[in-house]
Amino acid sequence: MNELDLTFIDKTVEKIGTGPEKVLAILQDIQEHFRYLPKEALERVCELTDITPASIAGVSTFYNQFRHRPAGRHTIKVCIGTACHVKGGQQIYDAFQRNLGIPDSEDTDPQKLFTIEKVACLGCCMLAPAIQIDDITYGHLTSDTIPVVLRDFLEQQKAQAQQAEGPAYTKSDGILGEIRICLDSSCVAGGSAKVYEALKKAIKETGAATVVKSVGCSGMSFLAPLVEVVLANGPSFRYAQVLPDDARAIVLKHFKPKQITRKIRNTISTMLDKLLTDKAWEPVTRYSVDVRDRPLAGFLQKQVHIATEHCGSIDPLDLDEYIRNDGFKALQETISKMSHELVIDKIKKSGLRGRGGAGYPTHLKLSRVCNSKSGKKYVICNGDEGDPGAFMDRMLIESYPYRIIEGIAIAAYAVGADEGFLYIRAEYPLAVKRMTQAINTCQQREFLGHNIMESPFSLELKIVPGAGAFVCGEETALIASIEGRRGMPRLRPPYPAESGLWGKPTLISNVETYTVMPWIIRNGPDAFAKLGTPKSKGTKVFALAGKIARGGLVEVPIGISIHQIIEDIGGGITEGLRLKAVQIGGPSGGCVPVEMAHIPIDYETLNDMGAMMGSGGMVALDESDCMVDIARYFLEFTQDQSCGKCTFCRIGTRRMLDILERLCEGQGKKTDIQELEHLAKMVRQASLCGLGSTAPNPVLSTIRYFREEYWAHLNKRCPAGRCKALITYSITDDCIGCTLCAQHCPADAIEMKPYQKHEIDTEKCIRCGTCKSVCQSNAVKVE
Amino acid sequence: MPKLTIDNHQVKVDNGATILDAAAKLEIEIPTMCFLKGYKASTSCMLCVVKVNNSDKLLPACGTIAQDGMKVETDSDEIRQARKAALELLLSDHAGDCIGPCQAACPAHMNIPLMIRQITAGKLRDAIITVKKDIPLPAVLGRICPKPCEQVCRRAQFDKAVSICLLKRYVADVDLQSEKPYVPTRGKNRNKKVAIVGAGPSGLSAAYYLLTDGYKCTIFDDHESPGGMLRYGVSQDKLTTDVLDAEIALIKKLGMVFKGQMPIGYALKMKELQKDFDAVLIAIGQTKPDDVESMGLETSPNGIAINPRTYETNLPGVFAAGAAVRKSKLAVRAVADGKEAAVAIGQFLSGQPVTGSPHVFNTRMGRLEEDEIERFVVHAGKAERLTPSPEGAGFTDDQAREEAARCMHCDCRKPQNCKLRQYARQYGAKPGHYKGGRRSFFQHLQHTNLIYEPGKCINCGLCIQITAEAGESLGLTFVGRGFDVRVAVPFEHSIAEGLKLATKKCVEACPTGALVFKTKK
Repeated sequence: MNELDLTFIDKTVEKIGTGPEKVLAILQDIQEHFRYLPKEALERVCELTDITPASIAGVSTFYNQFRHRPAGRHTIKVCIGTACHVKGGQQIYDAFQRNLGIPDSEDTDPQKLFTIEKVACLGCCMLAPAIQIDDITYGHLTSDTIPVVLRDFLEQQKAQAQQAEGPAYTKSDGILGEIRICLDSSCVAGGSAKVYEALKKAIKETGAATVVKSVGCSGMSFLAPLVEVVLANGPSFRYAQVLPDDARAIVLKHFKPKQITRKIRNTISTMLDKLLTDKAWEPVTRYSVDVRDRPLAGFLQKQVHIATEHCGSIDPLDLDEYIRNDGFKALQETISKMSHELVIDKIKKSGLRGRGGAGYPTHLKLSRVCNSKSGKKYVICNGDEGDPGAFMDRMLIESYPYRIIEGIAIAAYAVGADEGFLYIRAEYPLAVKRMTQAINTCQQREFLGHNIMESPFSLELKIVPGAGAFVCGEETALIASIEGRRGMPRLRPPYPAESGLWGKPTLISNVETYTVMPWIIRNGPDAFAKLGTPKSKGTKVFALAGKIARGGLVEVPIGISIHQIIEDIGGGITEGLRLKAVQIGGPSGGCVPVEMAHIPIDYETLNDMGAMMGSGGMVALDESDCMVDIARYFLEFTQDQSCGKCTFCRIGTRRMLDILERLCEGQGKKTDIQELEHLAKMVRQASLCGLGSTAPNPVLSTIRYFREEYWAHLNKRCPAGRCKALITYSITDDCIGCTLCAQHCPADAIEMKPYQKHEIDTEKCIRCGTCKSVCQSNAVKVE
Repeated sequence: MPKLTIDNHQVKVDNGATILDAAAKLEIEIPTMCFLKGYKASTSCMLCVVKVNNSDKLLPACGTIAQDGMKVETDSDEIRQARKAALELLLSDHAGDCIGPCQAACPAHMNIPLMIRQITAGKLRDAIITVKKDIPLPAVLGRICPKPCEQVCRRAQFDKAVSICLLKRYVADVDLQSEKPYVPTRGKNRNKKVAIVGAGPSGLSAAYYLLTDGYKCTIFDDHESPGGMLRYGVSQDKLTTDVLDAEIALIKKLGMVFKGQMPIGYALKMKELQKDFDAVLIAIGQTKPDDVESMGLETSPNGIAINPRTYETNLPGVFAAGAAVRKSKLAVRAVADGKEAAVAIGQFLSGQPVTGSPHVFNTRMGRLEEDEIERFVVHAGKAERLTPSPEGAGFTDDQAREEAARCMHCDCRKPQNCKLRQYARQYGAKPGHYKGGRRSFFQHLQHTNLIYEPGKCINCGLCIQITAEAGESLGLTFVGRGFDVRVAVPFEHSIAEGLKLATKKCVEACPTGALVFKTKK
């Protein structure tokens, strides 16, 4: 190997600092630069800083973000979040491996072009199955579209090299309205960046009196790219799943160009009318219709936007627009007119409970920190959303960074903190980027920093990008991580409110909790408390995904039923199957069967059902989903994410997984279900932190409601036809001999026989499901 | 000063004290493995879990701060079950045998690896003591034993088994030929008499251990001389009478009274024996159901019906062992029986509950992979198995040492003070309860004084704290996360480079056999 250029290390250390707590930041810099952590580089860091070899070796092997082997030029992250899992994420991973010729024991192709890795969740659940290559996201993949994806990516790379990114939109006077488009990660994955560019180009070319602006997500990711045209005089029009080629037509339809013949305009109008009525375009499914149509109205009707206030209408990074929409009013009022106690009292009256999962009353936390006697206090925003199947934090940060800052500032004021940290998951680069920009802008405009808005109140905010460890969502582990240690939880008490970051009283809350605070201050606690159930007030943001017609971010009053969310907002189950259960709360939550979907949900009822609010991931499962497989899937996740400290979590979850794997492979023993329940109860009872003690929930809830499926697996049967070892693919007499299956089969398990019934060689079959997905006569049977 | 209640006893402790501290003040023992006084509680093994304020959760006492008004429960079925589960989980991820497979397979559970190391070290007196702790007739068995130990010797997976049986014979022969062959010190006279019926291997063995323990023993036999099948059922080619006589002579030295040509079997007057002696052991060898019944004993398909753990028959104070109670005709099995029956008789005579010999707790790795065997062989003698000539001869001194060096030391180096083993036994934890893929066995030998076996580590992290405290330049750290987390030296340096200053402290603090001193050669 060539000698490494270690001068980079010297520069990094000079930039970041030499304190032992800088280890994570330094490692992230090295990882970004070399794409892995060369041993020589780490040893150099130890020479230059106060970081010990023990610390750097411990930290660098704890977080998923870090590699110790050289990586390929590009990284393919295959999402195996819940939604992607139920839609075949593993098959996508396998397909990449096959297409790139990566051996089982390796993760990089022989040409060292691509490194492939699994990630817990990209937070793009409605695009499932989704992957990310470097920073480009691809969604709705199938095993046989992988070559196309790879080709597209490499072409994009070429194109990007030629074209630098354009500036954000510029405002000009005399505009007649604006065109809004969401540029958050999942919409970009849906193609909105290309549409954004096309719109800008169209405006420039036609000279139309309008601007295009990027806005926070409307939540309607299932319609992405979604373009909204808002005219100065009020009316607005929405176009769903727009293609770049449509941009010019949309611009011309609503905004008068400087010079254009009437004839051309007419032509365009006719074209657009067709577009709106779904007549002329192929494939038809690409186009939905505008807001007047029923499904969309359904999506929005039952929602109440508090955390997602102004969704889809304001530019995430336009501070002036935020201010025009009451931004920083709440903070102004708080710091100029209110005592600490009054702020806390308002939060108390609102009934707000922590949105991170457990639902601890927020005002109690606030007053504990407020009452802690210490000169120095900290406030932390927990944005380490690691649950597979959840993307609330990502969307909130990407869409409402100013509101989150305002919420943190209000809370910091209430508890008397003057320094804060936003811990944001590493897998969310756009969230980190936008929040960084937002903090910078706030500092320039004195909404952060010394003497905010000319008051005595000061607050410094910093971003700490997480490094890929689900357990860091646990508050004590998160604090350890900020302090530059392995993200190991510790026993509470002492609670962070008494002894948190660097041993100082620390308020630590979830993103959504902070996001709603400005609204509560502005609209009064009663307005918030009016919503919800007696014990759980206000709204909750859910990330809706899985086998659902319309996935996305939804905000609903607590107390709504699962049925209302799935059917009325989400438009029910796709593909004509029936809803079987809803997985709520990710790996800490559980599966609520369809029979219980009518129960109004709040923190308590969900706990009673064996699920958990968690951070709000909601994945719809249909009849083709195996509940034993779902339990196995979550256990695989928690077991992988366990910090490894306590016996019950480290080994207990592994042994539970062993049993579940046996069951899914048809190797179960008679006593396995009983043993699994017993072990699950032990792990729940005696694990040290929340990760371990909630890890058994998906198992216990599926055993509770779907015991017969567990029994079926004991008898080597998977009723949902999901568990690979227990199913076989065959072709029925419906086969018309079109040869599609044979052409697409990646394992050569189907011989091409034009106009004859095809057959699957079960020995060769890898059960990837490609044949079933390409067959147009529904002739592939799984049993 | 918080005041709390532990198991209904009140106690006042300093601020910041843990439940474990508070319990210690009350002299309530809570088991711990990962905790060591003076170091930060790592709350990892979870053996010290207790119930606080009747909550559903169980909390580790070592790290839970005592608070005013707390109600703590330290012992209940629920708690014991959780502790047992914690131990069983740790055992399910444990790569290493407590005792060597040879010792486990030996019916008498003789500590073969220790004997072999004593031979290597030239400490033959220690070796005979080790042998006689479990086998009182080693010279005899060294000639006739079918060697179940050698069948399971791990070395056989590499080339051929260590010649264990001949090594034992060597130790015994050297002893017998010495000026003063080893006779254990007799325990204090207990003024209790035991009648042993039958002077075969089990009767002699029982006599040896009962005499050592301070009991008086009289052996009755229908033959003229003691030895039973050893004298009358084994060919002279294999076992000459002088060897047998020599070993019996040592038992006589301990005080054994032998009464030959006595009517036993159906003619035995059990009532009289029970009257004249405090306990009776029937060790009459293979017997017929009629004989058994005539003695007033119950029969089983294997002979006399006994409690298999305690060797008690249906008659109080009457025990039975050896071929009289089982189908096996192995002399070593009979010897083991005699020893175990002696333990039970001792318990009976001293008024303790009769529970029999303590169960030998052992974790087993089972068959090793080839690379694992290679790791073991590294520090063993490379020579092939020695066969002394002519046939039937024993080892010379040099041969014995060379053969002994072939032992791979696959038994644990901390079997006596391993906390995992100690508590597993105490809580009745079963090593095989949770089945999962066993992790590969590794041994790090680079260090001059110590050996690190990561498969035995329970991740308590004490060594990490100690090396940091000692100012080791590299030290130790946790590497990896979750199930795969291991204690290792940073940057894949060797254990020798990681541990330079704190070796002794680390070995002493390690609760298991993960960090151990090397055996001095």
